[in-house]
Amino acid sequence: MTQNLLRKILCSFFFVLGSILYAQTVTGTVSDAAGTLPGVNVIVKGTTNGAQTDLDGTYTLDNVASDAVLVFSYLGFKTQEIAVNGRSVIDVTLEEDVAQLEAVVVVGYGNQVRKEITTAVTSVSEEEFNKGVINNASQLLQGKVAGLSVYNKGGNPNDNGIIRLRGLSTVGGNTEPLVVIDGVLGQSLNNVDPSDIKNITVLKDGSAAAIYGSRASSGVILVTTKSGKSNQPFSVEYNGQYGVSDAINEVEIMDRGQFLATGGTDLGSDTDWVDEVTRSAFSQVHNIAMSGGAENTNYRVAVNYRDTEGILLNSGFEQLNVRGNFTGRLFNDKLRINFNSAFTQRDSDFGFNEALRYAIVYNPTAPVFGDDAPFAFNSDQFGGYFETLGLFDSFNPVSIAEQNRNAGATTTINYNADFRYSITDDLTATLNVGQQVSRTDNNQYYPTTAFFRGGAVSPFRKGRADFYSNEARTKTLELFGTYNKTFNDFFRMKLDGGYSFQENDFNENYLQVGDFPPGVDFDFSNAIEVSQDLNEAGRVIANSGRNDDDRIIAFFLRGNFTFDDAIYLTASLRREGSSRFGEDNQWGTFPSVAVGADLNNYLQLDNVSLLKARLGYGVTGAIPPGVGLSQTTFNVTNGAGGFGSSSTGIGTRLANPDLKWEEKRELNFGIEFAMDRLSATVDLYNRDIVDFITSVQIDAASNNGFTSQFQNSGELNTKGFELTVNYDIVRNDRVKYNMGLVASTYETVLEKNVGGDRTIANLGAPGQNDTEVILVREGDEIGQIWGPVFTGEVDANGTPILADINGDGNVVADQGSALAEDGDFKVLGQGFPDWEIGWTHQVQFGNWDVNAFFRGAFGHSMVNTFRVFYEPRIGSQSSYNYVNTDLARDDIRTAQFSSYYVEKADFLRLDNLTVGYNFDLNDDSFIKSARVSLTAQNLFTITDYTGADPEPAFQDLGAVDNGGNTGNPEVLAPGIDRRYNYFQNRTITLGLNVKF
Amino acid sequence: MKKMKKFLLLFLGVISMMFYTCTDLEEVLEDELSTEFSDDGVPDNSGETAGGVFPSGALAAAYGRLRNGSAGHGSYYSVQTVSSDEMAIGQKGGDWFDGGIWLDMHRHTVNSSNGPLNGTWVDAYGGIAETNLALESALSPGEAAQAKTIRAFFYWRLLDLYGRVKLITSSGSDAPQSERTAVFDFVEQELLDALGIPAVTASMDLSGSDLGTGSEPYIVNQFAALGVLAKLYLNAEVYTGTARWDEAMWAASYIIDNGPYQLCEDGCSVLNLAKRPNVASDPDQLSGYAAVFAPNNQFNPEMIWSIYYDESNAGGMNFSQMNLHYSSQQTFALDAQPWNGYQVLEEFYNSYDNGDLRKEANFLAGPQTDFDGADLLDYASDDPTIVVEYTPEISELEPNSVRQSGVRAKKFSFQLFGRPDMNNDYPIVRLGDVYLMRAEAMARNAGNWNMALPDVNTIRARAGLSPLASIDADGFFDERGKEMFQESSRRTDLIRFGKWGDSWWEKTNSDAFRTVMPIPQEQIEASGGTLTQNPGY
Repeated sequence: MTQNLLRKILCSFFFVLGSILYAQTVTGTVSDAAGTLPGVNVIVKGTTNGAQTDLDGTYTLDNVASDAVLVFSYLGFKTQEIAVNGRSVIDVTLEEDVAQLEAVVVVGYGNQVRKEITTAVTSVSEEEFNKGVINNASQLLQGKVAGLSVYNKGGNPNDNGIIRLRGLSTVGGNTEPLVVIDGVLGQSLNNVDPSDIKNITVLKDGSAAAIYGSRASSGVILVTTKSGKSNQPFSVEYNGQYGVSDAINEVEIMDRGQFLATGGTDLGSDTDWVDEVTRSAFSQVHNIAMSGGAENTNYRVAVNYRDTEGILLNSGFEQLNVRGNFTGRLFNDKLRINFNSAFTQRDSDFGFNEALRYAIVYNPTAPVFGDDAPFAFNSDQFGGYFETLGLFDSFNPVSIAEQNRNAGATTTINYNADFRYSITDDLTATLNVGQQVSRTDNNQYYPTTAFFRGGAVSPFRKGRADFYSNEARTKTLELFGTYNKTFNDFFRMKLDGGYSFQENDFNENYLQVGDFPPGVDFDFSNAIEVSQDLNEAGRVIANSGRNDDDRIIAFFLRGNFTFDDAIYLTASLRREGSSRFGEDNQWGTFPSVAVGADLNNYLQLDNVSLLKARLGYGVTGAIPPGVGLSQTTFNVTNGAGGFGSSSTGIGTRLANPDLKWEEKRELNFGIEFAMDRLSATVDLYNRDIVDFITSVQIDAASNNGFTSQFQNSGELNTKGFELTVNYDIVRNDRVKYNMGLVASTYETVLEKNVGGDRTIANLGAPGQNDTEVILVREGDEIGQIWGPVFTGEVDANGTPILADINGDGNVVADQGSALAEDGDFKVLGQGFPDWEIGWTHQVQFGNWDVNAFFRGAFGHSMVNTFRVFYEPRIGSQSSYNYVNTDLARDDIRTAQFSSYYVEKADFLRLDNLTVGYNFDLNDDSFIKSARVSLTAQNLFTITDYTGADPEPAFQDLGAVDNGGNTGNPEVLAPGIDRRYNYFQNRTITLGLNVKF
Repeated sequence: MKKMKKFLLLFLGVISMMFYTCTDLEEVLEDELSTEFSDDGVPDNSGETAGGVFPSGALAAAYGRLRNGSAGHGSYYSVQTVSSDEMAIGQKGGDWFDGGIWLDMHRHTVNSSNGPLNGTWVDAYGGIAETNLALESALSPGEAAQAKTIRAFFYWRLLDLYGRVKLITSSGSDAPQSERTAVFDFVEQELLDALGIPAVTASMDLSGSDLGTGSEPYIVNQFAALGVLAKLYLNAEVYTGTARWDEAMWAASYIIDNGPYQLCEDGCSVLNLAKRPNVASDPDQLSGYAAVFAPNNQFNPEMIWSIYYDESNAGGMNFSQMNLHYSSQQTFALDAQPWNGYQVLEEFYNSYDNGDLRKEANFLAGPQTDFDGADLLDYASDDPTIVVEYTPEISELEPNSVRQSGVRAKKFSFQLFGRPDMNNDYPIVRLGDVYLMRAEAMARNAGNWNMALPDVNTIRARAGLSPLASIDADGFFDERGKEMFQESSRRTDLIRFGKWGDSWWEKTNSDAFRTVMPIPQEQIEASGGTLTQNPGY
């Protein structure tokens, strides 16, 4: 205990120590026409005394003779020599040299000159971001980075979308990249407004990401927010967007006439349910940023407001985000303090995706309101709405959308302070401390008249209110030093090393009560004390959770060595521990080494400005998805009567003290090439993911009745290829036309799986329970859709005749035989795409610019679940509407999963088309610049897929029916187009940008 | 340079101190229970929970495990029932196909990947592990004998269903897969130990048993252990090839002669909790056979060992959900919409005589009415005159089994405003069963089925039927089936009477190896080769 206390005190002491560092002369800022330039080499001519400009473009050089000459050099810019002449401040503006090669790239714990980078890193800056109504920072990158997949199926504004880098890199861990915002690890892209982002860098391969250790397997996204500049007058910039969205490409269903002709039940009305629950959705975004700077300080404050409606009735969100950034320099610029802080308040109406689902399924002859029913109907009981009572899984979609409420609010506050002190010219120390607190409150209310979850049909238990809240706190402390030394023309080196500490605390509470007084039109979610459930505790559902002391602690070291200004070597090592691992296996080591060579330095090819080859190897990790998975848990069992006594019962999982991180070992080979109008990057990689974490079924008999345990249970291998090409098709004074293409492909094979071969991803009720459509088999690619094959013939019952695939004379297609030797099952498709591309066209002529961006994915298939369930013309279920795609057949009258419902979903989409105009304004006018633009998102899609959206489904949230909720994502089950997906929408946006 | 070295030293020093001080990764789970505990608690003397009636302490969890799968969907009950000629789950158009697993179960074409077979296995071993844990804690001799009986009962289920299983008798240990005869011997010996006797005989003396003789149906007593032994001996020929009719007969007789139990007949009645206030024809009381299984059947005099279920604290009985049509929610004003799954086979329903009180008690048939007694309309249909009617005839097993076809099991009857979890207790051993076990054992022992007549007629009398003058094997099988409907007994009975391979309705398969179920594939894979599949699968 005493020792623990001592450790705590000492630990705090070092945290404080890091921030108190001592002080020590030519300084200045290097900029170009657009602003300050980080990473510029400044050398005292004829010596080895040199420095690089920092992120703000400032540099400091000691021991400079008053008659010395400074040499400013920077890739892509003309080198300048300037005599000091006794001055102590020298600001320089560099002129662009050849092409616009981004010179400095943030690489984690510092930055690096682009040409010296030895790893697969892609940097996307503001100008290249996607335009239009962007709700989440990840959308800025959609299709821009080869190998980075960003999908928000349907485009629900309340969904964050799914981000995957180079496919699936972990099974049990976090499949989304680690997000680092302004140097603070483990952030969420939700907490940075897209308008405030200056640059996003994606660390793609293992050797780049290894410095981030056990959270980096899924890649790392480094976000740099905008900041003010030194010596810059106060300026204000306004950005505004006004958009309107409409639902497109809905699931094709029958109208009243078609439905009746197919034998549907006539309930007397003619209702377009999809139209009833969707709308034209308006969005607006306003962003005001103020920035400025004096000699030793600069700042930027931005206020962002967005109000986005969803196309689904009563869905959308409103968000206010304020971000402030302050930088100051002290002690002759030896100490730089950077302070970042953001506040985000988001109020969401999640609405009910179920309304979209039931809009597809609901009888098109049914009336919206009960008074229009063809028979006596007790409308009052259902809030005036009609309901079909005798059917399973059937709810009036308009009633769902209009009567119930599903809303939430999240408030996030974060800050980080970064102290950097230059101890000598070569050595700096940086302390970064940060904290984030976020609180979420979600609640749902189903009035006493709601049939969907509200119990309207229950005689005495009506109405339901759900409350969920959580609070998450993250503390970060990092202390690291950088040693930068140029020994001579032939050899330079840079060393970084440090310590990293992060702790997460998480609390959550859930409460569900029901049974409110019927016949009263009042939202009882603010008066839950009247819930009659409280009289009988068994009906109240309450849940709480707390994860404390969830820590990650690391030590790291990295060296960059440059030889002959053309051969680059990088090596790093991170030793990291996480409290989530088993007690016998808490610490892991993550090394990397990478080498790059500027071949053109030796080959001197004509017209070629860059020819670099690089090879890197790195080890990264992934931590388990939750705390305590290595520990066992028990249930509490009350006496058989439920009273009087209690004891532990066998829980669900067995302890595993050996549980360790998932490990990814990745080898990456890349070539970067640039000449005249053409530039290209090619990457090839091979990654082995070993010891992935899953819950494995264990022999219940010999494990004390426990049925599962979290184990390091398998291995994946991914091989992939990525290509980025840019070409200036036209480049003259009047017109510039650049075309860019990014393309990627990969294949992931399950090399080992302790959990055993199986099928997963149940289609669900009605009637398709225990119908698992995704294959998980050792030695096979992951994500394969598995099932019986439809012959095209139908028997007298209307049952599809399935193929005798193995030719043994028997058709064995029951799900229990899915993997049996005599089973007639085969691979019906692949849920992951073979190729994903992004294809950009940028045209500039005069004051006009046009940007067209196409995005596509090819080779993937999807299980169209709407068709499986509702396309067969099942006579006995004639009160559901029928899905009626081009593939519909009137002779199929039995719903049974087969190859017929697995469709190729190749697509090419005009994702974004923007036309902009920049006004000519005088430099001394009140308005410095102004631009208007018109953006169309999702203008058209070329595809044969008959469902709502051909975008790949990267993971599966499980079957949902009869008012149930979605489950945890299953990452091994891509390719299922579930019935709760949002509809696609098309958005037209007017944008306005003014600088004062 | 010197200054720099000093700084580097300091920096390294700081880092190495941090190794010592700032590397604490101990994680304490604050929202889950990660250590064991047991608390006898304060006996609750209110209401039905009079002190000592319910199991307590370390045994509570073991008893609680009996609920899992015994009266719900997807485990033991479903396997025992759907594989028999009592019930089937027809594919109702788009509903209930479920990958064909229930069609396979009914048609005897299951294979080892069938999910409910794994559920059954896991539930049994969960119970066994819980009793092992209990046996390793400080138990009184009486409690230890109860625990052994519970464990033997779980092993009996495994013996009956799978035959060859692992006999695990201590926490965390493994054991090789035993042959069926060895499992039989183990179950027999454990029960004899609990009863404190070397063998079941006509004149056995149970005074040395650690088990009690109290009448609480939730705590295993001598009669409960004997009842399980009777089931074991009655099926011994199936399990081992050697018949043990004598012991089955003696065990059953001992219960009847010495136990405090009596058949629930005319005077034995409970309030009818399904009585709708506005429906005069609903009886106020349930009596006799119907009372044995009613929602308020706690402490019924016929119950020797039963599983306690209740809607809030002891869930797991879901018959109203599993059996009823969606619209029947309106009849009983149920909390949740039913699933419209299990349908009673027409031939089985028709085997009951019309005067048989059990026919009314066991089935919901014919046109249905709503809470107020008015016709229950099928709102899914466009004809407002269509009334939901459970027809004895089931149109077909698949693919378009009409939604309302097949009468519905309601032996464990429903109550108004019922929740998805029901309140009825479920018998493991009850006196009616014991009478029939004695009758069958006597008859088979004597080679004369008429020897069964006295006990059979006792049971028939309670059902309001006249006595039979003679009976044969088929007749007895028929009588037993009508009495034991919905009590998870039919599969075992079909096998013992050699009828398991017969054809009925849409079931034709007669593979001889199917008298045991396949060992679940998931368990075989997880066992690393220590479990092997049963022959034939």
